[in-house]
Amino acid sequence: MLRLDAAASKPLCDGHTRRDFLHAGALSLLGLTLPDFLRAGGESSDSDVNCIMLFLLGGPSHLDTWDPKPDAPAEVRGPFQSVATRVPGIRITEIFPRLAGHMDKVSLVRSVYHTATAVHDTGHQMMQTGRLFSGGVEHPHLGCTLGYLKGRRGEIPAHVLIPRPMGRTGGNMPHGQTAGYLGKSHDPFVLNADPSAKDFKVPDLLPPDYIGAARARRRQSMRAAVEGTLEAFERNAGSKQLDDNFELAYRLMSSRQAREAFDLSREPQKVRERYGLTRFGQSCLLARRLIERGVRFVTVNMFETVFDEITWDIHGSRPFTDIAEMSRLVAPDFDLAFSALLEDLHQRGLLSNTMVTAMGEFGRTPKINPAGGRDHHPGVWTILMGGGPIRGGQVVGESDALGYIPKTRPVTPAEVAASLFHGLGLDLEKELPGPQGRPIPLVDYGVKPIRELF
Amino acid sequence: MLRICLLLLVWPTFAWSATPRILPEKVTLTGPRASQRLLVVAQDGADIVADRTSQATFSSSAPSVVAVEAGGTLRAVGDGSAVITARLGEQAATIAVQVVGTREPFAWSFRNHVTPVLTRAACNSGACHGALAGKGGLKLSLRGYDVDSDHFVLTRQALGRRIDREAPEKSLLLLKPTMTVAHGGGQKLDIDSLEYQVIADWIAEGTPGPRAEDPRLTRLEVFPRSARLQPRDSLQLLVRAWYSDGRSEDVTRWAKFVSSEELVANVNLEGRVSVVGHGEAGVSVLFGNLVASATITSPYSTKIDPKRFADAPRHNFIDELVLKKLERLGLPPSPGCSDAEFIRRVYLDTAGILPTPEETRAFLADRTADKRAKLIDRLLERPEFVDYWAYKWSDLLLITTRKLPQSAVWAFYQHVRQSVADNKPWNRFAEELLTASGGNLQNGAANYFVLHKDITELTEATAVTFLGMSLTCARCHNHPLERWTQDQYWQMANLFGRVGLKSGDRGAVLVQSQPTGEAIHPRLGTPLPPAPLDGKPLPLDSPLDRRRYLADWLTAPDNPYFAKALVNRVWRNYLGRGLVEAEDDLRETNPPTNAELFDALARDFIKHGYDVKHLIRTILNSATYQRSSSPVPGNEADDRFFSRYRMRRLSAEVLLDAYSQVTGVPTPFTHLVTNARDSETPYGGFPLGTRALQLPDSLVASRFLDAFGRPERANPCSCERTEDASVGQALHLNNGKTLNDKLRDKNSIVSKWLVEKRSDEEAIQRLYLSALCREPTAKERATFLKLMQAAEAEGSRREALEDLVWAVLTSREFIFNK
Repeated sequence: MLRLDAAASKPLCDGHTRRDFLHAGALSLLGLTLPDFLRAGGESSDSDVNCIMLFLLGGPSHLDTWDPKPDAPAEVRGPFQSVATRVPGIRITEIFPRLAGHMDKVSLVRSVYHTATAVHDTGHQMMQTGRLFSGGVEHPHLGCTLGYLKGRRGEIPAHVLIPRPMGRTGGNMPHGQTAGYLGKSHDPFVLNADPSAKDFKVPDLLPPDYIGAARARRRQSMRAAVEGTLEAFERNAGSKQLDDNFELAYRLMSSRQAREAFDLSREPQKVRERYGLTRFGQSCLLARRLIERGVRFVTVNMFETVFDEITWDIHGSRPFTDIAEMSRLVAPDFDLAFSALLEDLHQRGLLSNTMVTAMGEFGRTPKINPAGGRDHHPGVWTILMGGGPIRGGQVVGESDALGYIPKTRPVTPAEVAASLFHGLGLDLEKELPGPQGRPIPLVDYGVKPIRELF
Repeated sequence: MLRICLLLLVWPTFAWSATPRILPEKVTLTGPRASQRLLVVAQDGADIVADRTSQATFSSSAPSVVAVEAGGTLRAVGDGSAVITARLGEQAATIAVQVVGTREPFAWSFRNHVTPVLTRAACNSGACHGALAGKGGLKLSLRGYDVDSDHFVLTRQALGRRIDREAPEKSLLLLKPTMTVAHGGGQKLDIDSLEYQVIADWIAEGTPGPRAEDPRLTRLEVFPRSARLQPRDSLQLLVRAWYSDGRSEDVTRWAKFVSSEELVANVNLEGRVSVVGHGEAGVSVLFGNLVASATITSPYSTKIDPKRFADAPRHNFIDELVLKKLERLGLPPSPGCSDAEFIRRVYLDTAGILPTPEETRAFLADRTADKRAKLIDRLLERPEFVDYWAYKWSDLLLITTRKLPQSAVWAFYQHVRQSVADNKPWNRFAEELLTASGGNLQNGAANYFVLHKDITELTEATAVTFLGMSLTCARCHNHPLERWTQDQYWQMANLFGRVGLKSGDRGAVLVQSQPTGEAIHPRLGTPLPPAPLDGKPLPLDSPLDRRRYLADWLTAPDNPYFAKALVNRVWRNYLGRGLVEAEDDLRETNPPTNAELFDALARDFIKHGYDVKHLIRTILNSATYQRSSSPVPGNEADDRFFSRYRMRRLSAEVLLDAYSQVTGVPTPFTHLVTNARDSETPYGGFPLGTRALQLPDSLVASRFLDAFGRPERANPCSCERTEDASVGQALHLNNGKTLNDKLRDKNSIVSKWLVEKRSDEEAIQRLYLSALCREPTAKERATFLKLMQAAEAEGSRREALEDLVWAVLTSREFIFNK
């Protein structure tokens, strides 16, 4: 019996109890089929590698973080000292004291670059999907592709996005955070709540007391009895989606696995504090809980927008922050949460099958601007990758003396995507059904993973 | 082998069924280096249907005047005229060519040749040296907008070491892009290319700079402007640039090509179009600061009986132009919708409410021919119509306590609401807003300047709101996706340079125009003469009210953006997709799906004095709006040409109000959100019965409205409203309080039925009529009766009835407008 607690259950008018509804593996009651991963061809097994993608919205300055240039002129070097880390030879700046102690668990790729327009949205597209969008084609987020290919484990969604999707970042282009042409049924489950909020819970996950299993089942059969004009509804993607969403909602409502996974109150206060009682910290903790309970891919957006928050987008001039403010207000949250996540995953034995990556959409201009900030610079930047089959404690690629361009081993966003797919155990030449049935490989032919990482 | 045989069998029939034609049809080659590529195309009626250039053989009547290469490229040899013939099997086409100025001295121009070469090689792109900070120490202006500065940078900066006049091939400007020495951007030029030659020759000539008397680019021509092709066809595009001295040049190899729909046709770097699907793609051609476009049509079917288009109803010019497009694309129109579908649709779209059962019954029983037109007229006069559009414009104008105090929100909202109620012409509405003066509590319109305190916010919001364009990028640098420059941005911004705000009594703000004040261009450090985008600048010392000048430019009948921006918003509201998508992304490189219709609607709107109600009435009366949403064979794939009504989810506010209406239980709005989502404070300003569409503020607490995508009103972008269905919404309808509380309420429709002792049969029938505007089918009736009996046997009748209403109200048919 899947009983979670022994609290007395209150009989309801329909003769069932609410707990029955919660416990009964209610799927069979609702007449739903077996979990989707069976449908996906039995590719799934519990030893599959998972992934946590921390998206550092705004674009961290590589020079002020993981690619310090102590010998560069002052207007490039910036205000921070470089410090030694746990791995001899790898130095990062002083603004991440905790991370320095965990550099054996992640590797730095210091030569990522892209050549598209230097706006946030293009980088979001490429880092999350591996491709730049053009001509109206929207490629799927890596986590959606994984979910599409492997299905979900049990009743819990394959890909969860926390806390909220990316919003405005200046352009009005898509950010690459949906399933694109794979269809909305493969979109991530979006939390839409702040895990650090006092009474945090997934909105409306549990049925109210007065709706027991029998009533839920009845509502279902009644809902199915409204015919509508079927053809028009079936042809319409939005209305089909509505029904798919109802089905997913039933799964979540009736799943103990899902309920537990999202229940942060079960974490000891000390653990919660170790991650930091911030939105990002608690999001990282929630990511770990979700992975532990079967989610395959978790995307954590450190910010929602670059406008109304202090972010990594350090232009210096209003409404943006400058370098100094970033180091005081943004870096410590990241340092605390990211080091906690690595430590925690490691201690629980989850790091070996969970890749963790932290990345922004571009770097910042080497020369500090008159406002004391740095502007967008996709010419080169650094991302962090570790866990799963990735060997930590390495540096791949380097930027030139001033951090303008890659000096060795330039890495494109497509190669980053290929590396994550490779780490997840997917065949890079596997084709997805693109728009209008056009087959599209996971990455373009010829794009290879970053071998040095594995 | 088989393929070759087939080709031999098939090809000649093609060649003879259509007439060959040479493009361009008139060519004048000017100067000793002049050249022009030719296309040989097959034409069927008015349409170009194939590119036959590679199969054609060319000859020149006077090789001493014009030489013609095998692929169809003309080269000037000597002054004079010649006839060029292209042969395709038995058929031939000819054009006349003039050659002039071959004995004139020739030099490549920095402005008109070197810069386009650098642009084409992407040297000055935003990702390379065109970035705000430049790259690797070299900074060029983005896509060459500032030739004077670029010339200085290339020839003088870095101690002139980028140029070696004695040995041009040793110039860094050539060594780097050819990767003769290391170049961070990789190889950009081939040593044996024309592009290399242009730069080398220019250096050898002594790097002459741009001159004031340089001819300026005035016009771009694309050949062909449109073509009707099939999947797997390909077609070369040619681009000709015209200059102020009357000369033209073939600039195909330096132009940039972008397809609007890669699923229909893609285009390679050289301008060759490949058709891959059905539909229509616009190929934008960018050269210098100009954009031109070609339309590639790939019909869904060529076998639709023309009678189906000829016989389709035409209520007004909209139908004429939609059907014209559908016929060209081979998309058969769906038949008209039923009266029951129409009444539900038009109420929801126009007034945001459902018709009452009485209204539905009366309309269905009415036998007069023009009953739909009359219903439309009645709806346009209803107070709920005012609620609906006042809400819509409040979204656009960002009326919210996030940005304004409570009293100002009400004043602004009342101004907007009264304007809708008076059907104020859109030009006057804009003008009143942009020139508003006085206290913001007396003149609500003045709040436009109170909530956008900053000049940049004002500039950008005005562009989105009234021009449907985003200018944000141009604040810091030239727009990377559009033609607007940073200078134009700051000229536009300076129109708001003299807006003054003063504190008035009791928290009021006084808005006034001041005699002085400038918006300072951040890089130049000085103000630029104020100018509305591409409009004429006003001298800095002009005493005219700058805001009035902006309003006059905006609302001038020949303003190409203002009317269209509004038309596109209104069209999208009723047809579910803008003629341009997104609704506020009007730009040259984002073509409308029916340009002729877009033009006609804008003209009609202007002709009728910017009368928004007239525009709405015209749309609602069209057969296009009144089509069924069900597809017919052949139009299933259409999602943008309006061959059928586009079904869509009800918006957050309309859906919530519909729940209140059907259940008979109004939504209580009792709290305001403060501090961005964090806390809620009680607010008693909305009496019970206030509908969601009557709320003046986006910060009224409502979990339902948030889950279903109400905009935050933080930014005028249409992207703020989400129309997608999400799992969160499904969870909320199942477990959330909104709908469940309404069903359980002691005043709900369920209570009423119980008091009135309605039978299950009556309940089902009443529910269907009020929620879905139709009678249940026999099958639905029977199924429900059985389910109700079973439910009543299990538990209370009340719960069974609640579940019945829940089921209908969460069905696709209810949640979607079809």
